Amino acid sequence: MKFAATLRALPLVLALAAMGAAAAPGGLAPDFTGTDTSGKAVRLSDYKGKFVVLEWTNPECPFVRKHYDSQNMQGLQKEFGAKDVVWLAINSTNKSSSEFKTGAQMDAWLKTNGAAPKATLIDASSETGRAYSAKTTPHMFVVDPSGKIVYGGAIDDKRSANPADTKTANNYVRAALNESMAGKPVTVASTTPYGCSVKY
Amino acid sequence: MLRLFHLAFLLLLLATGGPGVVHAAPVKTAQVEAELVSEKTAFVPGQPTTVALRLKMADGWHTYWQNPGDSGLPTTITWTLPPDMAVGPIQWPAPHALPVGPLVNFGYEGEVLLPIEMQVPADAVPGTTRTLNAKAEWLVCRETCIPEEAVLQLVLPVAERADVYPQWGSAIAATRAALPVPAKGWLFEAKGEGNKVIVTATAPAGAPAPGNVHFFPFQEGRIEPAGKQTFVRDANGTFVLTLPVAYQLAADFKRVSGVLTASKGLAVGDGLIAATTIDVPLTGAVVAGPKPVDASVAAATFAAPKPAAESLSLWLAIVFAFVGGVVLNLMPCVFPVLSLKVLSLSTPGHEDVRRLRMEGLAFGAGVVVTFVALAGLLLAFRAAGEQVGWGFQLQSPAVVSALALLFFVLALNLSGAFEFTLLVPSSAAGWNARNPYVNAALSGVLAVVIASPCTAPFMGAAMGFALAQPAALTLMVFVALGLGMAMPFVLLTWFPGWRRMLPKPGAWMERMKQFLAFPLYATVAWLVWVLGAQVDNDAVVRLLVTLVVLAFALWAWRAYRGGGGRAWSAAGIAGFVAAVYVVSPLFGPTTDKDLPTPQARTTIGAIDLWQPYTPAKLDELTAAGKPVFVDFTAAWCVTCQVNKRLVLNDAGIKDEFARRGVQLVRADWTRRDPAITRALAGFGRQGVPVYVLYRPGKEPMLLPEVLQKQTVLDALATL
Repeated sequence: MKFAATLRALPLVLALAAMGAAAAPGGLAPDFTGTDTSGKAVRLSDYKGKFVVLEWTNPECPFVRKHYDSQNMQGLQKEFGAKDVVWLAINSTNKSSSEFKTGAQMDAWLKTNGAAPKATLIDASSETGRAYSAKTTPHMFVVDPSGKIVYGGAIDDKRSANPADTKTANNYVRAALNESMAGKPVTVASTTPYGCSVKY
Repeated sequence: MLRLFHLAFLLLLLATGGPGVVHAAPVKTAQVEAELVSEKTAFVPGQPTTVALRLKMADGWHTYWQNPGDSGLPTTITWTLPPDMAVGPIQWPAPHALPVGPLVNFGYEGEVLLPIEMQVPADAVPGTTRTLNAKAEWLVCRETCIPEEAVLQLVLPVAERADVYPQWGSAIAATRAALPVPAKGWLFEAKGEGNKVIVTATAPAGAPAPGNVHFFPFQEGRIEPAGKQTFVRDANGTFVLTLPVAYQLAADFKRVSGVLTASKGLAVGDGLIAATTIDVPLTGAVVAGPKPVDASVAAATFAAPKPAAESLSLWLAIVFAFVGGVVLNLMPCVFPVLSLKVLSLSTPGHEDVRRLRMEGLAFGAGVVVTFVALAGLLLAFRAAGEQVGWGFQLQSPAVVSALALLFFVLALNLSGAFEFTLLVPSSAAGWNARNPYVNAALSGVLAVVIASPCTAPFMGAAMGFALAQPAALTLMVFVALGLGMAMPFVLLTWFPGWRRMLPKPGAWMERMKQFLAFPLYATVAWLVWVLGAQVDNDAVVRLLVTLVVLAFALWAWRAYRGGGGRAWSAAGIAGFVAAVYVVSPLFGPTTDKDLPTPQARTTIGAIDLWQPYTPAKLDELTAAGKPVFVDFTAAWCVTCQVNKRLVLNDAGIKDEFARRGVQLVRADWTRRDPAITRALAGFGRQGVPVYVLYRPGKEPMLLPEVLQKQTVLDALATL
């Protein structure tokens, strides 16, 4: 009788234990509903069962430009887009900032740069940014199919605004995706991001 | 002519200090002017010289410290130097906290000199020069960020002696003097507590207060840059700095190291220093702090929802108290005894309506006076600094034991085991009849005493308001509560017409009286359980034995008064004495002291999903972004127990909690717990039950005192 009761409680306990700390690497990715550049609603939970990469971006930031001018970010987007990874670019710049971009402007900029995210979200209310505590642009999160954040932090280990550095840097996002997709634990799950501050 | 020319040339050379200092003009970008400057005009062989990178930022723009804070990049210098020269790292002046929206950067505005120590070897030849080439890279930001770089050069001669460099020499010396250094005579210690780091600073004797301080950590991932830091002086004169732990916490946070700036300076020796370095080990354990970007929301989340008490006006509180008082009559503690009192009105001896009404008023007076007295006691305790709330009397095993004995005696009386007249000398037996009003008033007092374990809906909010007000207003609310509680009985005595509808007094009444003893026995059983929850099983046995001995003593005394011999009175007295002896340890200091409720009451076999409440645990769970349901409860609170059994333990509700990943926390206030009392006060409440649902990203939600399944489900649906 006691054993049966314990058995019944066990999955619940394991589920609770697995929840861990949300929104920090190792925790569950908070669900959000954002608006993409064409005004359509996009939810994180729409992509449950797939790998999702969240890229906080801002075309006015030299650090973001570093990764786009060097084709580094687009390369990642295409490489993993082909492996059925959902890439979401999120701009949490607030409306009253001089750096604010409308959906059309973001689309134009991405097109000029040959970027290929699955969707680009205009997070003008900064709700999604705050949910993830995104501090910089770029700030990257990798979410696995079960909804757990397996990586959160900087895109790579060369903290500079020099596009040439992307060639020699150790790319944490690529490493996390490759390891996670192979079923291995992610060796570097959390780093301090670098970049311009998100303009909340 | 040539001589004059040579003389002029020599003079010119002397004026410029010999084979001279040469430096390229400052590099100017739109936001920054950068150049390399020196403290001295020459390198002296074997002696260090301070050189500095000067950055002048345009208004509103800033560059960064070695730890840039939430975003940004520190300034870097890449040197190309003659091979025999030694160069040190940038010696960073104390930074400033630069807010950027909800985030914080660490850096410099206006103009900054970044000193670097250089040295030529002792065998350097005077008269030679050294060329310093540097590529400085920095990030300058206002709203936008611009990474910039400059190629800079400085040429200095080597000479036996050097003068102060014009224009910048004294500024560099001043910067070097103001660099953060360990503060002699000050003792710093760091301890981790939950999601805070507590740094205690013991100042040297007679040191004045340092003014406003700010701590800048050297490394990222330890202290949250945008988090609130508090700085107070405690009773012993030690300064206590509370630092928020980083949200994204690094795994190896073992030391607290950084720069502490003080607006009024730290007294060191005879002087003051504006900034000091701290590097101490971190004792204790820390957990990650809350999300910094939510800082404005977090303040509301973690401090408390707007206490209901603030939104109550005095009149509303009085109305709530009155209604609460009326509802109290229906609560399980009060109903049996009060209904008996009402029934007794229909017995013979209550025909005089005028007398009946006066008795009703006397009862009401007794009730109101007792509530006021209880309020007075509560205020007195609080004035004495004790953290008490409503129901405080039940947090004491002594009071619980006394109440159990009282209820037991009342129940025995109702069962017919003895009459109260037995306990008083025969001369005083008629006292009840002769003083019906005093009797009525005393029964009012009794009613309040037995009502004290219960709270009613509306009471909670009214109490919370009342106890936060000045004493006069508090007492007004308590008077309203008393009036509300007495009102039904007073009305029943004022308009006794309802008695005509009752059957004539007869055997049914006696049976009703005996029947109503059982709810009282049940109350005794519950109080015994409360005692067990407060103390341990031994206390339970002690109380039970006391009850047995007391029952025996009362029976023996009854036999004595019923005509039995001296032996019976002796037995009765012996029984009473024995009862007192057995029960007295429960009133003693060891049992009665402020112990936290023993937590060893988890169910055996199943896993108890309720985690015990501590402020640190609550911070940890809410910081992790999970919904948290906190049940403020106590064993002696009947409403709490009913809610627990009927609602919180319901399978459907438990499933819903699990489905939504709600963390369950139980704050057990059975014994006095100042942390829980404070938490309750934060919600504007002074008693239990209180149910709070912490919702990530939203304001915490207070649920009503009487829980229903649908209420809980509706609350969870808002997550």
